[in-house]
Amino acid sequence: MSALENSRVTGVLLDVSGVLKDGETAIPGSVEAIRKLREAGLTIRFLTNETQMTRRKLAASLIDLGFCLQERDIIPPCPALVTLLKRENMRPHLLVHPDILPEFDGIDKSNPNCVVVSDAADNFTYENLNEAFRVLINMEKPRLFSLGRGKYYSDNGGLTLDVGAFTAALEYAADIKAEVIGKPQPEFFMSVLRDMRVEPQEAVMIGDDIVGDVGGAQNCGLTGVLVRTGKYRSSDEKHPTVHPDAIVDDLAQGVDLILKSRK
Amino acid sequence: MAAGKEALKAVLIDLSGTLHVEDTAIPGAVDALKRLRESHIPIKFVTNTTKESRRCLYERLVALGFELREDEIWSSLWAAQDLLRRRNLRPMLMVDDAALEDFTGLTDVKEEEQNAVVIGLAPNMFNYSHLNKAFRLLLTGAPLIAIHCGRYYKRSDGLALGPGPFVKGLEYASDCESEVVGKPSPAFFQSALGDINPAHAVMIGDDVRDDISGAQALGMRGFLVQTGKYRTGDESRISPGPAVVCSHFSEAVDILLKEYSVSGRDS
Repeated sequence: MSALENSRVTGVLLDVSGVLKDGETAIPGSVEAIRKLREAGLTIRFLTNETQMTRRKLAASLIDLGFCLQERDIIPPCPALVTLLKRENMRPHLLVHPDILPEFDGIDKSNPNCVVVSDAADNFTYENLNEAFRVLINMEKPRLFSLGRGKYYSDNGGLTLDVGAFTAALEYAADIKAEVIGKPQPEFFMSVLRDMRVEPQEAVMIGDDIVGDVGGAQNCGLTGVLVRTGKYRSSDEKHPTVHPDAIVDDLAQGVDLILKSRK
Repeated sequence: MAAGKEALKAVLIDLSGTLHVEDTAIPGAVDALKRLRESHIPIKFVTNTTKESRRCLYERLVALGFELREDEIWSSLWAAQDLLRRRNLRPMLMVDDAALEDFTGLTDVKEEEQNAVVIGLAPNMFNYSHLNKAFRLLLTGAPLIAIHCGRYYKRSDGLALGPGPFVKGLEYASDCESEVVGKPSPAFFQSALGDINPAHAVMIGDDVRDDISGAQALGMRGFLVQTGKYRTGDESRISPGPAVVCSHFSEAVDILLKEYSVSGRDS
């Protein structure tokens, strides 16, 4: 815990699923914790690899749970990907959750020259995966974009496969490497910090994903805090390569730690 | 060649491409198998299948005129059920319906009692909900057993994903490593040999990697036949190369019988 002492924390990045909420339920103490951060005047962003709903819908569902936030505080990977697709004239074949299709409304999807995979959940059928595979194998230079590459997440208390498993499957089948957009990609963290006008050493990331949240943040010079909620498993504390700056029981405890360090 | 060669205790023979191509026996193969049998050396027929049961393979070979017993067939599916029984595992089976008859007594394990995941080729089970069930089992420490790790195969309407991508996806999510039971895994050849020392055994096949390299890695001698999927130059694609290269199965048997009867008289 010593890593947080004497620090000048001015910005806080928070993962959403497994930190603020688990499934459709707020994690106890987390609504109050966000309020405390706001009252202390800290700049907050919600950095999520969530791709099962649009940013608008995610914001609405969090506000419904009582969280004090605005849609623009939430940073999912989709807008960054859409910007990249437009910049590079990419026409994607989409293997995504039907609820995020509106995010791709302005994008030409005819005659695809890349594949985008995100947490498609029940849309991960054999035939859908096969279709994505065939698009890739028939390309001269196959490009696969993966929105995050998490291994699993907690959904209403049960662990569920995340996009990473399916990205790994497509990579193996087509013998290629995916390009990841979202955590733990460094640019994803850095662009948010630029927008917040916060230096990495003044920022703390709190998450339940030892690699995507904690490791990703630490790689960029942020302080990485792991919570024992969501997908957390006790084996995470013995991770071979990632060692969190602090491990806390939940968001409430993490926020208290940050606020104490500023006094 | 004869120097240092051990007595021959077993011959493993590949099926497709070595004894037959689809519904046609390789010329001379039926008679060659008869000649080999006269030596009374134990024989096993080894093959990677994800769909065809042992009975189905047996019936095909008999129809082509080969003389064999059903229990001489050692397929990757059969190796999987053998492994499950030896280790007392209660599997979640993700295999083709046609393959289930190889798993008698292992097919109806209650979900809460399953403690292993077996992946063959089962497109109707390669979906989110079944893969999640398999994933949750793996998180409890259940072993992941792969019939093989093929990337894709040819379906009538084009290429289709094989078992490999789903094995790799589950390995990634659950941080585990699969046990591959088919060729070229050394464990496959050893399970076919049982207690026989690999140094006393020969493998005959047309696939330089799966048959020859795999068997030789275990210490067997590999006889590469130039039929089936053999392509010119295959013998130089592996190092060390095949112990013997011969034009077809019949020639392989002739070489074997000559080599070993000589060494037999010498010792």
